[in-house]
Amino acid sequence: MAHGYHGKILHIDLTAGKFSVEEPGEDFYRKYLGGSALALHYLLKDMPPGADPLGPENILVLALSVVTGASISGQSRLTAAAKSPLTGAIGDSQGGGFFPAELKHAGFDALVIKGKSPKPVYLWIHDGEYELRDAAHIWGSITGEAEQTIREDLGDKKIQVMQIGPAGENAVRFAGIFSNTNRANGRTGMGAVMGSKNLKAVAVRGKLRPSIADKTRLSTLAKWGAANLADSDIAGMAKYGTNETTGSNQNSGTLPTYNYNSGVFDGWEKIDGPTMYDTVLKGAAEGKQDRVGRDTCFACTVRCKRVVEIKEGPYKVDPQYGGPEYETTSTFGSYCAIDDLAAICKANETCNKYGMDSISCGATISWAYEAFNEGKLTLEDTDGLDLSWGNAESMVKLTEKIAKREGFGDLLAEGSERAAKKIGRGTEEYLITFKGQEAPAHMPRVKRSLAVIYAVNPFGADHQSHEHDPVIEDDFEYYKERLGVLGFSAGVETRSLNREKIRFTVATQRLYSAMDSLNLCQFVFGPAWQLYGPDDIVELVQAVTGWEDFSYADIENVGERRINMMRMFNAREGFDRQQDLVPEKLFKPLKGGASDGWKLDKDEVEGALDTYFELSGWDVKSGIPTAEKLEELGLAWTAK
Amino acid sequence: MVKINKFQITPEDQYQKEEILEIHLQLFSILRDKLPPELKGRTVIQLTAGSTLKDLLIELDIYRRVAISVNDAQERDHSRTLKDGDKVKIFTSVGGG
Repeated sequence: MAHGYHGKILHIDLTAGKFSVEEPGEDFYRKYLGGSALALHYLLKDMPPGADPLGPENILVLALSVVTGASISGQSRLTAAAKSPLTGAIGDSQGGGFFPAELKHAGFDALVIKGKSPKPVYLWIHDGEYELRDAAHIWGSITGEAEQTIREDLGDKKIQVMQIGPAGENAVRFAGIFSNTNRANGRTGMGAVMGSKNLKAVAVRGKLRPSIADKTRLSTLAKWGAANLADSDIAGMAKYGTNETTGSNQNSGTLPTYNYNSGVFDGWEKIDGPTMYDTVLKGAAEGKQDRVGRDTCFACTVRCKRVVEIKEGPYKVDPQYGGPEYETTSTFGSYCAIDDLAAICKANETCNKYGMDSISCGATISWAYEAFNEGKLTLEDTDGLDLSWGNAESMVKLTEKIAKREGFGDLLAEGSERAAKKIGRGTEEYLITFKGQEAPAHMPRVKRSLAVIYAVNPFGADHQSHEHDPVIEDDFEYYKERLGVLGFSAGVETRSLNREKIRFTVATQRLYSAMDSLNLCQFVFGPAWQLYGPDDIVELVQAVTGWEDFSYADIENVGERRINMMRMFNAREGFDRQQDLVPEKLFKPLKGGASDGWKLDKDEVEGALDTYFELSGWDVKSGIPTAEKLEELGLAWTAK
Repeated sequence: MVKINKFQITPEDQYQKEEILEIHLQLFSILRDKLPPELKGRTVIQLTAGSTLKDLLIELDIYRRVAISVNDAQERDHSRTLKDGDKVKIFTSVGGG
């Protein structure tokens, strides 16, 4: 008997309007655990190489894991994976909220979505039953309106909806898929894929909760987390949001400013977590923000989500659309040298209403700002919008134009790399893209293993694909017990890219890769500062599934398997080490603050990449997994 | 700003003002909770001359991982001796998303 999962995968052929249910055995779930790894199984098996990311041959997988829906913090998350229209490589993103747990309760572990519906539809899944319903009346609706309409159509306010907004319908290349109108499977353009299939939404409701192997063990683990949250390293993030980190990043010179030309921003305090808490969170004026200005995910006691409400002024914000995370306050804020928090919150609202990745959107806008300030874009190019550094009004207007593909927004909706290629005039010099995806607000010139990960990561620059440097450098003593589980007994020299740093990079990449297959929240679970450590992840899986022999070695194995599957997907699409590039800008020095003068060195980065490929067991010259490595991981079939 | 004086300053000390440091303190994120909420993390704290950043952290009961700036410059060395009038900012520091 399966515990934690149903053993049911729903296959949807949108072209024919038909369904089938696959019932894989336990071996399948042990091999992949779910999420990203499970998705890759179908993308490799069923998608032909060379498929158009916005064509019917692309496959969109929405996958849960064996622990999704268990009553503990940090598990209600879902992976969306497909070929990315932004990068042309594998696309992958995770998002949280209440939808993932509800999909589990609706009776399925994953949805494999193929083809293209002849007309707009939404998928309705409830207690093991499923149907496609007409979505013509909500095609074009913003997320808040669509969610309300679907709930009214189906007569249940508690239905959870995962959907695309108009940006996905308009094939904005970095459109995301959103649930609860503010939880984003943001990156790599999965929303554009869903839109290309004429699939507006997935609605779910159910009471089919899988059994838990050992409820007492799970409950003990859950209660431990709740009891220790206040003393944990994430207590600040819980109360003040992920942009509690804005100040410490400013301090260490790693707050991206002027489109990644600097790591410090004079206006940082106006856009940080404490300022958000004091001013724009719902209830702040009455001192009630702790109760009504914070939100959470299913079964999670952390409550880290922001709820912003602005009723006055030029940038009114509806609390339904949540509030910005650190990444968003950076990309719409410091990247463009903007210190207007209300404007940033408005841009975040636009992203959530229309369904766009705030990282790629903000970073594409900041590329345009730099080009404008360097005289390479004119007012004629920008529809008359003045993109001088710090101009908040233009940033807000541009965000909406991108979502609607209007005027200059239509060009930017292609992402900064395509926009730079089209414009020319030397604007490619300002790019901060890796495989075509814009860099997030964690800087490789400061936390240097990011240079390796951003370059090699199969779906482009991603800050949540390994553990960042500080924990293995100056902060090692705080985390040595947990890092010991991963095989580390000492710290490494600050800012080095030596062999031990790369070994740390590989080891934590595998852990994060497994966590994206288990769909675990990376603030709740992880190798160091998180609420729960590596041993707790093992305990969670054992308690939920009953797999008593499950160990950390299995976590590492699944993590490594997923990375290799992604690498093989990309190899079929023509990607190898030649695309594992660092943008030229990062070899130029940062300006100002603690990181003044810091830059990457090409020879050092190439040497680090050599070590990375060697430690990964891949061919160093091509960066492609060897036959031996594939055999070891049970992936020989991916080479055919 | 409110001065928090956690030391027993004797009348003799008061005539030896150069023995007392006034540190302009700003605590961020969850560290703000160590001060009354209306202060929003800002205060002036008095320490005896010769006190270090480590002494300050002990005085504030801060033992978690933190990042510190002194006079708006990053400071990793907690053995640094503080001077009268120093501006010290203390941040918590975890990954952001």
